[in-house]
Amino acid sequence: MQQSLSGKAKTRPLTPANVTVGRRRWSERGYALLFLGPSLALLAVFIFWPMLKTLYMSFFLTDKFGHITVFNGLGNYRSLLQDASYWASLGATLSYVAVVAVLTIVLGLILAVAAQQQLKGIGFFKTLFSSTMGISVSVAAIFWLFAFNPSVGVFAQLSQALHLPEINWLADPHFALLAIIITTVWMNLGFTFLILFGALQQVPRSLYDAADVAGVAKRTQFLKVTLPMISPTLFFVTTVTLIDAFKSFGLIDLMTAGGPSNATNLLVYRVYQDAFLNGSYAQASTESVVLTLLIAVVTLVQFKLFGKRVTY
Amino acid sequence: MTIQLEQLAKTYADSEVPVLTDVSVEVADNEFFVIVGPSGCGKSTLLRMIAGLTSISAGQLKINGVLANDLPPKARQLAMVFQSYALYPFLTVAANVGFGLKARHFSAPEIQQRVAHALKMVNLTELKDRKPKALSGGQRQRVALARAIASDAKICLMDEPLSNLDAQLRARMRLELKQLQQQLGLTVIYVTHDQVEAMTMADRVMILNEHQVQQIDTPINVYQNPKNEFVAQFFGTPQINLLTATVTGHQLQVTPDFNLAVTRPLPEGTALCVGIRPNQLQFKLTSRNANARIQTVAYLGDKLVATARLSDDQAVRLVSAETTTLAPGDLIAITGAQQVVLFDNATGKLITTEQEVAARATIAVG
Amino acid sequence: MAVKLETRLWWCWLSGLLLIVTLTFGLGTTAYGAGRTKIVFWHEMTGPAQAQLMTDAKAFNASQSKYEVVPEFEGSYNEAVQKILHTHGTSAAPALFQSMDVSTAQLYHANVATPVQKFIDADHYDVSQISSVARAFYSQNGKQISMPFNTSQPVLYYNASLLKRLGIKAPPVNPTYSDITRVAKAITAKSNGKVKGLTVEVYGWLFEQFMANGNTVMANQNNGRSGYPTTVDFTSTATQKAMAWIRENIQAKDFIDFGAGSQAESNEIAAFLAGKLGMFVQSSAYISQLLAGTKDQLGITYYPHADGTKANGVSIGGASLWIANSQPKNVQQGAWQFIKYVMTPQAQAAWQKATGYLALNQKSQHQAILKQLYAKQPVAKVPSEQLAAATANPANSGIFMEGLLQERTLTQTAMATIYNGGNITSALKTAETSMNQYLANNNRANQYTNH
Repeated sequence: MQQSLSGKAKTRPLTPANVTVGRRRWSERGYALLFLGPSLALLAVFIFWPMLKTLYMSFFLTDKFGHITVFNGLGNYRSLLQDASYWASLGATLSYVAVVAVLTIVLGLILAVAAQQQLKGIGFFKTLFSSTMGISVSVAAIFWLFAFNPSVGVFAQLSQALHLPEINWLADPHFALLAIIITTVWMNLGFTFLILFGALQQVPRSLYDAADVAGVAKRTQFLKVTLPMISPTLFFVTTVTLIDAFKSFGLIDLMTAGGPSNATNLLVYRVYQDAFLNGSYAQASTESVVLTLLIAVVTLVQFKLFGKRVTY
Repeated sequence: MTIQLEQLAKTYADSEVPVLTDVSVEVADNEFFVIVGPSGCGKSTLLRMIAGLTSISAGQLKINGVLANDLPPKARQLAMVFQSYALYPFLTVAANVGFGLKARHFSAPEIQQRVAHALKMVNLTELKDRKPKALSGGQRQRVALARAIASDAKICLMDEPLSNLDAQLRARMRLELKQLQQQLGLTVIYVTHDQVEAMTMADRVMILNEHQVQQIDTPINVYQNPKNEFVAQFFGTPQINLLTATVTGHQLQVTPDFNLAVTRPLPEGTALCVGIRPNQLQFKLTSRNANARIQTVAYLGDKLVATARLSDDQAVRLVSAETTTLAPGDLIAITGAQQVVLFDNATGKLITTEQEVAARATIAVG
Repeated sequence: MAVKLETRLWWCWLSGLLLIVTLTFGLGTTAYGAGRTKIVFWHEMTGPAQAQLMTDAKAFNASQSKYEVVPEFEGSYNEAVQKILHTHGTSAAPALFQSMDVSTAQLYHANVATPVQKFIDADHYDVSQISSVARAFYSQNGKQISMPFNTSQPVLYYNASLLKRLGIKAPPVNPTYSDITRVAKAITAKSNGKVKGLTVEVYGWLFEQFMANGNTVMANQNNGRSGYPTTVDFTSTATQKAMAWIRENIQAKDFIDFGAGSQAESNEIAAFLAGKLGMFVQSSAYISQLLAGTKDQLGITYYPHADGTKANGVSIGGASLWIANSQPKNVQQGAWQFIKYVMTPQAQAAWQKATGYLALNQKSQHQAILKQLYAKQPVAKVPSEQLAAATANPANSGIFMEGLLQERTLTQTAMATIYNGGNITSALKTAETSMNQYLANNNRANQYTNH
């Protein structure tokens, strides 16, 4: 079994026994292909081919139909790297991703721990905390757009009533990204809460009992028992949140459309604008390639950094 | 280290019905004390109350003479071994054993030395760098024990520590645990639902049922002088036969053709519960004066366990050393019992025990 | 067994597919097969405009028996442009389509449509009845490429009741920047800061209008009318003056910034209707929504212009109707008939009343339906008057250039920077440099050269 997989079977002499084994091997492979075939074909057509095509297009210029016209070598990459606004987008994306990930995990964890306490009416809060899971991006955007409205929004009225400086959340480049972060974290929280709450529930009570008997303080128990026990889930949630944050599009499109002054023009949104608004497919392809590499690097770093600390 | 329980009781906040009432006992220093009972009897709750993991509703708990009702677990100076072992999957064996020593502010070399010693005690020194996942059930159990040893506490609470092991391993571990206890001079309170464990390990046993203490005594006394029907049927394998009988003269009539002669005068006509251990039931394989018919037979190598049915359909378990000819359908005559235990039919309480009781097929006149 | 099951599943799948195919094509042929020529019409209208368009299509279909116009909604303007480009020449392509103002040069260069000029000439259609500024936007080399359809112009809205309550003199109908600044400052001062005087959305279209009204072309080659633009001028006197004007109001704290995009528009309208905003410049297409949304008297002026210069008149926004060049003659003819139908004085008047878009047929102003509207709401007349007042020239006939969306993104970035305190000239210069680079790339990619 294992030998044929490692290729050693090929070098073995062809005794009759081997031949039958080989045949069975072949037919097993045939079956494997038969079952994998449809999904492989779909992947090839809808994932691999477009990926290669994107990479290819990034070395050319494209006309308004998206047809490849002029070979541009590394020109697209060069102009991208020389574009100050691209670097601004990159910076905005990285801070967005980092802050969203940290806030989502920390707040999700706090809510999950809070929901674990045996308090009256906690069921209501559990429902409340997880409720954002059922809310679509567009509904959330409308809700928060209204909240951020500088003249009639909740925040504006609050700061007026409290005589705080008024913040123009979505139109001020210093705050727009924060506004998007708040909205994203709010949206993420439901899912994260639910997953982390489930993970906390999975930690056996006896581990805490043992720690109690051993005289470990409750706060230390959280660090020494709870966190290690839920580390696989934390790792999963972090990965999902990071990748999701890199792909954030809907909220940006609906709330700021990349503005003001490119403050929220995250990389994915840029790709969209260049491809589907400006018709610069080659430019968009170049940006996609860079973004893909970036996500790959961040994910790799995350696995290297935290993967080892995950205990299963 | 002694542990005194004085009328301990537990009622949970959200319920009216107490889980435990009026539990009183004094566990002596160096005693192996077993709490046994069916599931739901409150035995684990009692142990957790002693550990400080569950609060005490009423009564007093004294450890070494000091009132401990409100002491946090840490201050009670005890170790605990859990049914699930409560090992931290992310820590190595050594770290698991040393867990908690840091909280007690031991120095690193001291921790190391204690861990090494504890692991040596349970023969796990070679596996100290493994994770619990890479251990067998028995090995995990030993890690849990080692943790208790390393804590150096003189009281060790054990909550069904062997119930996740297979039968053979369990038998071996019983011995090892007992040895360990004696070697370390521990006071152990051991919770189990398994009467064999209770019998084999305990210095004394507390039997709990329906939230109440049924009996506290040595295993042999519990076996021979059960205080009530529940205790009688809880101890001993195969289970004691509990037959209903009516007092007729000097005899107890179980069925018209099965009567037991008792010496103690009993009020005529009362219905009683007669307890006879299967191995104490005497019988002959004969069709003359037969009063029971063999139904099932199980060979256990050195002995044979059978069930028979009396003429009124009551089932009787019996044990025979003979590995010979007993077969389903055979007729037997029950001739007597080495001991019978009589219980009040209504309350289940012990009335008396009688030794060497003869059985007759018919009621002796006069 | 497994093989048999698999075969059976395949058959199920195949027959299912067959069924779907048959149904689709079968229904397709029976539904439209009543002897009429089918004119597929792609549009991007929503809300009341979509309803009015359906009414027009229905009325047109009822008015004759040769053609059947089938309107199909294609989503947003941006999506529609991509669909038009990518389906051109296939059976999925429409006969008639609506496409937004900024796509004009792109679609023209893509050569997907027959210029409507051909039908105008063949039909001796009197095109002079249609607004010249609107026509000029969709013309190239003296030929009408497409027919202007839903058309709006930017105007300045103000809350007339609010001004009256605060005792502020209303701005003149054709105001200068300083006229507006005066009113804005007064609103904020007299309301103790409770009402903001003015906003100008961070919107490239409005940026373009500052240039149009200042008689300045944005792109070289006469705003693209005489060749492919190779450079743009964002740093002209006209734009500098406009930005300085906004900056002045920002510094006077009588200005509120709602940012960019549809959210900014809904926020500014919400604020205006709630009486928290005194004035704003925005598309005339919002007029019905504003009239319906508040009990306060609405005021409207022309788009503001710089002090000491004459207003050149603003250009238009909206979309036009195109006849695809891949369709047979009779289908094209049907599309043209429908265009003529929607451009009649009656249809245009009804269109303005229903949607807020401007009636482009000058005779529409005499239609009863508009006269009634003006009698009830005299301000509703202002946008049409602004449109009629301007004479078309290269500065106010729109920018005939590809990549206008990119231009708007860039100018919006510059505007946002300026609104938030950035240096005016350098912000504009940054946008200009990026746009010039885009143009160079685009011209190279599409192999455009000027001779």
